[in-house]
Amino acid sequence: MSSPDYDAPKRERWYESKRFRRFRRNPLAVAGVLILLFFAGMALLAPALTADRLPRGCMRDLGLGRSEARTALRNPAHPAFWRATFAPPGSCYKIPRVSYSPVPKPPSKKYPLGIASGGYDIYYGIVWGARTSFYIGVLVVGIVLVIATVVGGLAGLFGGWLDNLLMRLVDVVYSIPGLVLAMVFASIFGRGLIKTMIAIALVAWPIYARMLRGNILQVKAQDYISAAHAVGVGNLRLFFKHILPNAIGPMIILASLDIGAIVITASTLAFLGLGADVGYADWGQMISFARSWISNPGGEPLKYWFVWFWPSMAIALFVLGWNLLGDAVRDALDPRS
Amino acid sequence: MTTFIVRRLLQLPIVLMAISLLIFGMMQFLSPTQRAAAFVKSEQQAQHLDLVIRQYNLDKGFFVQYGTWLKEVFKGNLGYSKTSHEPVLTTIRKRLPISAELALANFLPIMAFGIWMGTIAAIHRDRWIDQFVRVFAVVGWSLPTFVLGIWLLAVLYGHFKLFGIDRAPADILVAFARGDLKAYTGFITLDGLLNGRPDVTLAGLKHLFMPVLTMTVVASAQIMRVLRSSMLDVLNSDYVRTARAKGLPERVVNLKHARRNAIIPVVTLGGLMFAGLLNGIFFAEVIFNFAGLGQWSVASAVQLDFPAVIGMALLTGVIVSIANLVVDILYGIVDPRISFQ
Repeated sequence: MSSPDYDAPKRERWYESKRFRRFRRNPLAVAGVLILLFFAGMALLAPALTADRLPRGCMRDLGLGRSEARTALRNPAHPAFWRATFAPPGSCYKIPRVSYSPVPKPPSKKYPLGIASGGYDIYYGIVWGARTSFYIGVLVVGIVLVIATVVGGLAGLFGGWLDNLLMRLVDVVYSIPGLVLAMVFASIFGRGLIKTMIAIALVAWPIYARMLRGNILQVKAQDYISAAHAVGVGNLRLFFKHILPNAIGPMIILASLDIGAIVITASTLAFLGLGADVGYADWGQMISFARSWISNPGGEPLKYWFVWFWPSMAIALFVLGWNLLGDAVRDALDPRS
Repeated sequence: MTTFIVRRLLQLPIVLMAISLLIFGMMQFLSPTQRAAAFVKSEQQAQHLDLVIRQYNLDKGFFVQYGTWLKEVFKGNLGYSKTSHEPVLTTIRKRLPISAELALANFLPIMAFGIWMGTIAAIHRDRWIDQFVRVFAVVGWSLPTFVLGIWLLAVLYGHFKLFGIDRAPADILVAFARGDLKAYTGFITLDGLLNGRPDVTLAGLKHLFMPVLTMTVVASAQIMRVLRSSMLDVLNSDYVRTARAKGLPERVVNLKHARRNAIIPVVTLGGLMFAGLLNGIFFAEVIFNFAGLGQWSVASAVQLDFPAVIGMALLTGVIVSIANLVVDILYGIVDPRISFQ
């Protein structure tokens, strides 16, 4: 029983690790992953799922006719399928309007989730809204990570008065309620999806900057940093090669899991009318279409349930998916639990 | 303790200064004409913006502008809100009691429910009630306030005709506006009692129910989670085992020995939550049609009414800073081991 590599430790694959096993056995985590996979599939396949109801502008930008779109967008061999899936023109995010009637219409065969006030096709808005939500979440997290890395990095690296100043800035931003501050930014920048995303990022960064600073201080105290310093590694190289890579991991993971909270803020702003342009496929905005049909004075309040039910369910489930996943990852990473 | 409080109170102006610098810095993104709106007191003045720009040095450097603005703020001039057609400060004064009533009505149920459920979950770890609390917490945490508000509005108010929107039935609001009922405090529930009209108080409470329910479900989730985990830590500690071993009743061990020590992280969170509470109240006001500060500032943000939005940011900054101070003082009361040196 003596094979040559008997003593060599077997390299553990990530899916065999204790952390991953703990994660996999957690039913809530699995539920979260399934919910997110559902939305990711919906977002990715949005053109194929809505091939028969694309708005005219979108079909024109893709260079397809209506009957052509129906087959081409469901056929992976067609170049338009790939273009529409991975780089759809902006006009595809506009919800097609069936009519201009202010009265919602109940679900029918052609419009399975109903038609919202203003003739907006709810099914189209939900499917493409999934794309918008991922887009908002990923982009905002990206901006947040950049700001947090710069601020937290500077504070942790230099310490002293700069650290003090930046951390007081963190305190100040932190002491204004997030949505109020986002509203200030949104009203200064004006309407528009990109501007809203910048506003949300400008509100969300402080907690991560503080986290990164803390991690950097911890790493700086390690022996290998003193060792690197002793062999004469320059300041910049020390920071980018030795300190930052060892300190940035937890921040990236936790910030990415925060997409749920970001989508809550974004949809709230959109609901208030501070989000994307009217008619953009965005769940928060779709709920605002429903506003006058919720506590309907017409005597049959639940008659128009579909106008608020689908978009609010979509938001709630999407955020739930991220939070379940986030909880499970935090549990798996935390050695105490 | 006194020195600590005095020192923290002395820090407060510095924090406020920083908040105002931040907000004023953001105003520099606007053109001088837009910024001038923050100084205008009436519609007539709005006709002569170039005069306003000159009077308040809006075409000068940053620090000159900041100084002028700060002086005006100290004089109580926060500008004119085109949303409410009044000076910002007047509107804030008028609407503050409405939001404050909502906030106070929310705070207690959120804390009490969160602490209660968190305790139960930790004591009955891994039993069905614990699983229920965990699922409830993560679901509640995932619901945007406005989504839950809309569901309750559609089902409870729309379908079952329960409770009600707005602060009180229209006839009561009219009676207040006409002066038949005197608004001593601006809180409908208190004014009802002070006027000797318990029915008004009852109506006010009934109308508070839906916003409070919404916020309790959404906001107590965080408290449950934090209390549950810190309570689990404490329940495994030696002094709790000692307390059990010397034969104290289970109730005393759980509530006196364990929970009192587990509650400290919740106090920290209580301060942070206060900021979250203000957030949530904004949307509860919009959805349940309370004519408070939230409804007004949301409307003004949509109309790009900067003076109103900036005034609100200042106000919330002040409130949160004071809340944080209160939390720091509460630490000492909850946990005598913490000293303030």
